[in-house]
Amino acid sequence: MPDLRVLLKDKLGERVLLLGNEAIARGILEAGIGIVTTYPGTPASEIGDSISEIAAEAGLYMEYSTNEIVAVEVAAGAANCGVRALTAMKHVGLNVASDMVMTLAYVGVRGGFVIVSADDPECYSSQNEQDNRFYALLSNLPCLEPSNSQEAKDMTVSAIEISEKLELPVILRTTTRVSHTRGPVVYGGLTKPRLKGEFVKDLDHVKRLVMVPAYSRPKHDVFLKKVEKAKEISETSPYNRVVREGKSGKLGVISSSSAYNYAVEAADLLGLDASILKLGMTHPLPEKMIGKFLKKHEKIVVVEELEPFLEMQIKSIAKDYAPNVEIYGKTKKSYFTRTGELSTRTVLIGLANIVGKELPIDFSKIDAKYADAAKELPHRPPILCAGCPHRASFYVIKKVAGEKAVYPTDIGCYALGIAPPLNVGDILVCMGASVGTAQGISKATSSDTVAIIGDSTFFHAGIPGLVNAVYNDHKVVIAVLDNLTTAMTGHQPHPGTGLTGMQTRSEKLLIEKVAEGCGVKYVKVVDPFNVKEAETVLKGALQHSGPSVVVFRAPCALMVVRDKRRRGAELAVCKITDKCTDCMACIKLLGCPALVVEDGKVGINEVLCVACGLCASVCPYDAIKCGETG
Amino acid sequence: MKEFNIVLAGVGGQGTLLAAEILGTAALKEGLNVRVSEIHGMAQRGGAVVSTIRIGEKVLATTVLEGQADVLLGFEPLETLRNLRFASEKTLVVMSDERIPPTELSAKKMKYPSMEEVLAKINRFTKNVIIIDTTELAKEAGNIITRNIVLLGALAATGKMPVKMESLKEALSELVPAKHLNMNVKAFELGYACVRKSPSLR
Repeated sequence: MPDLRVLLKDKLGERVLLLGNEAIARGILEAGIGIVTTYPGTPASEIGDSISEIAAEAGLYMEYSTNEIVAVEVAAGAANCGVRALTAMKHVGLNVASDMVMTLAYVGVRGGFVIVSADDPECYSSQNEQDNRFYALLSNLPCLEPSNSQEAKDMTVSAIEISEKLELPVILRTTTRVSHTRGPVVYGGLTKPRLKGEFVKDLDHVKRLVMVPAYSRPKHDVFLKKVEKAKEISETSPYNRVVREGKSGKLGVISSSSAYNYAVEAADLLGLDASILKLGMTHPLPEKMIGKFLKKHEKIVVVEELEPFLEMQIKSIAKDYAPNVEIYGKTKKSYFTRTGELSTRTVLIGLANIVGKELPIDFSKIDAKYADAAKELPHRPPILCAGCPHRASFYVIKKVAGEKAVYPTDIGCYALGIAPPLNVGDILVCMGASVGTAQGISKATSSDTVAIIGDSTFFHAGIPGLVNAVYNDHKVVIAVLDNLTTAMTGHQPHPGTGLTGMQTRSEKLLIEKVAEGCGVKYVKVVDPFNVKEAETVLKGALQHSGPSVVVFRAPCALMVVRDKRRRGAELAVCKITDKCTDCMACIKLLGCPALVVEDGKVGINEVLCVACGLCASVCPYDAIKCGETG
Repeated sequence: MKEFNIVLAGVGGQGTLLAAEILGTAALKEGLNVRVSEIHGMAQRGGAVVSTIRIGEKVLATTVLEGQADVLLGFEPLETLRNLRFASEKTLVVMSDERIPPTELSAKKMKYPSMEEVLAKINRFTKNVIIIDTTELAKEAGNIITRNIVLLGALAATGKMPVKMESLKEALSELVPAKHLNMNVKAFELGYACVRKSPSLR
């Protein structure tokens, strides 16, 4: 991890290697943005995290908001006082924020406001791979799509300019490969952030800002006029340009985002004589520019990741400008995959098929050789870390509620509980959904229903569901697996941690107090490593007639280890003593990566073991000793 | 140099991200164009992880095409095998012998393959293989967590990298925490010396 103060350097022309997300953070400083809000989510997290590290020194305000819609509300409030703002979230975060965003488009902003949506083709760390460029089409807000770190930085600055020119929020849409690729970034100058603006109460501010039907109706028309202006900006945007002119003029390629990188490299590998139109502002599209490009070519190939967002619109533009041009992509016949991410390989194959050229690399030969070498290679999916308190919670939950109970689960590390041997997690959809779905399942069956939800997720979207469970008296157990951080995304603070995005202290909100305040009658807090007590408490919850909340509280193992390393404390490990009969109970019950079997004997991987002691408490022969230093 | 591709393969927690960043930063220091791909989030939790580095004037994409790796830097034997699709007879494999058995092995009572079996499979793609006892050298440097840096030192010693030693060391000193710098420098040098002193490894 680099010292993020490198982002603060006021050195025009300095060339630095930055992650796409760090480049957006630099863009925030160059654009003079005064308020940054976010809810962490892969692949967007490092935008907020980078800013959190340097916010105080940079003189701007940053917060981890409770969820994405609150994040947009806070930023939009400030932007309507003339302060420049940015909200960063992962793609599905925009679903949460969408209610605000759709009508904010009518209301508009005074200070520039950028909404960063980081999409995740291939679902590296997500529940779906929705294409958020459709949010630009749905909301009619301008959308910029960077293809590398340099553009990620530059477009953040441009998005603020466009936003202020149009008085509209602007969407900056990245993908995992843009957000999580490091590349060179040449710095521009810094702009001092302005933290204070003014909420103007003039004669017509109510008409402008209060979206009751009488005022929103005319605002729709005002908004559409702004979209017309946005089209003009798109036609002359430096981000929309022909980067290469083909000699014959037969073939034209249109592409955006990371797909553009694959398209150029694939075209070169094939030695194609093709013009290439790169689109960086993808809503509204530069209709005239595209029309002219279509007219000049016989065949057009649209290379884009996920949905045929550009292709569908280009086909409609072709109807007016070049009805005879042939357009290849994903709609009529699928030359490129619509699922997962693209690669130079998939684009190479698609292009070769379209133009009828031989592939320069014999992939089938490599694949066959690889398939042979990788035969019987064991899988290595992500798993709960050694010492993870969730493993202890799952052990207890499974032991008490049993195989037959239904376990709706949620978004976070604990989703990994589905892996054997724990096997906890029966339905997972979106943030907070465990609490609501549990109630429907409980109503529709006679099964015990235990919702699994994390601490950050509880604050994000669990509370309305909890209120519903109380008021409508659903018999569900809500198990809050509280590891005192937002672990999966990189240990960001949340309202239960007592820390803020400005790295200052705040009063902790206690989940048990929230639950009591919502009217839950059975609320208990347990340490999951205290297995016996946790079992008793959970049994009580299952016997309770209405909704109950059990908070399993123990800090994330990664935080514990990092903290010990920082303090220079000795890291203890568990030891297997000669009482061990190799009965495999610990292996079969826990699936801890620090417990290994070699030649039929149980052993401890001392690099991974953090001496949490769970294996010792489940061992039937008292054969594991924990806490000795290794 | 047209382009130079490195694939780093390991297990979440082994320090592949830092190693990739050091290599990328060293390339940038020499004014080269570079892309480094990383995987964050859920995939990091003890799962298989891959980082790629591409260096070259015309490089745009961050991922490496099958069969096009110049170097496969393996932090763990099984993960090295998992990424052989990027290798060809021209590829240099520098691999740690640190074995991290996936939990599936214990659950299915499968055996971790022997180093001979691993090597035989790699040899079907390339004969250029260097195996390093990174954990032992890292412990000698002061802490096992420096095993990623040991591997970098070993790679540097092969002379295959298109960047100078000084740039690598400079990048290292910028990217590791200041208080652990000496330990990391030692780890780098131990990895370097290990390859240098054994002519068969070069």
